[in-house]
Amino acid sequence: MSSRRSSRGSISEEEINELISKLQSLLPNSRRRGSSQASTTKLLKETCNYIKSLHREVDDLSDRLSDLMSTMDHNSPGAEIIRSILRS
Amino acid sequence: MAQCGGGDVSRHRKGHLETVESLCQGLLDDVMLDDDKCRAMFGYLQEWQQDMGSNMCYGSLGEPPLVPEPSNGSGSSGGFRKRRPEDAKGESSSVCKRQRGKQQQQGQERAKAVGARKKAEAASPKDSPATSASTVTAGQKTDYIHVRARRGQATDSHSLAERVRRERISERMRYLQELVPGCNKVTGKAGMLDEIINYVQSLQKQVEFLSMKIAASNPVVNFNIVEDLFGRQLSQAACNPATLPAMTLPMGQVEPSCLQMSPLQQMQTSAGSSGFGLEMVVSNPYSPAPAGPMSVPAGASVEPCLNVNGAAGWDIGSHSLFSGFDASFQSVQSDCLLDNLKMEM
Repeated sequence: MSSRRSSRGSISEEEINELISKLQSLLPNSRRRGSSQASTTKLLKETCNYIKSLHREVDDLSDRLSDLMSTMDHNSPGAEIIRSILRS
Repeated sequence: MAQCGGGDVSRHRKGHLETVESLCQGLLDDVMLDDDKCRAMFGYLQEWQQDMGSNMCYGSLGEPPLVPEPSNGSGSSGGFRKRRPEDAKGESSSVCKRQRGKQQQQGQERAKAVGARKKAEAASPKDSPATSASTVTAGQKTDYIHVRARRGQATDSHSLAERVRRERISERMRYLQELVPGCNKVTGKAGMLDEIINYVQSLQKQVEFLSMKIAASNPVVNFNIVEDLFGRQLSQAACNPATLPAMTLPMGQVEPSCLQMSPLQQMQTSAGSSGFGLEMVVSNPYSPAPAGPMSVPAGASVEPCLNVNGAAGWDIGSHSLFSGFDASFQSVQSDCLLDNLKMEM
């Protein structure tokens, strides 16, 4: 039982290590840190926080964008330019 | 030292505290603080401290005449505060020992994680009373992580620590599963990690896209276009409106050079004052003597701004950049303005 588990586990372990290093490269403050293996829990925690901060950022930015679009005069040349930019 | 909570000792201390209180009351009654009384009180306090054989009240009692009422409450609570983490630690470690003994005796599968005990010990020595109380209770709650070792599984500390680590990882993964939409359909850690990576990447792209949109649709949109035209010379300055005050500073330094071009301006006023401000600023970079640190990209950025966007874009830029300067040019009559210029010359 244990040998079967370990053989299957080693493959997925490799995959998981690869995925985890990939995930670490996505996190903003992970580049300065070298070792990855020691702190999988820390990495996952950071991922949680990062996802939360990204959510917040997306919300904030969409709020700002909608505010801008609502306050903008639709006929002004500035709005024309913005629309053309947004379309592209 | 530690067992102050014992009945006779506390009674003993209470009697002492009453004496101290009466002494302090006497001190308070006198408007002028008497040296003798003060000395007597502190001598008594020192004796009392030596009696008690502890230094628990030292900090608060060391302060001279403000001692009285605080010495009562905060002294004892201070001692309690100091003692508390040790008590908690001893208690938790004893609990843990009991737990271990139980496990070994009865062959139960409940084990105590070494990491959890370390965490409790690290968390306990806080000194503020509220946090110490909360950490004590929290430490007692999270004190032992129950790791079940099934029959035949190892119970040595390494295996237990590894099990705790895996437990934590899967807990985090569960949490991430809630956080990432569509992740609960995927089974297996690899799939979940893949999903998480994709989600983070998509979120990053979304943020990038949104911020690009915001930057494009800011009121400073003119400067963004200028930036594109001029090879991103103004990339830092033009992106957000917060840098507009920074932009006004170098442009404000251009003002003297504007005033120095009086022959040109006189020519222009004689020609007519319509579009005067525009003409003047356009001719600004070509002033014969650009006095002061006039930055070339800033000057150059205003110029195409006029050409490209026309009047609407220009109004935003000019009002914010030339604070009041250009407005006065446009509102005041040209001869009055000429007088002003002459006076300033």
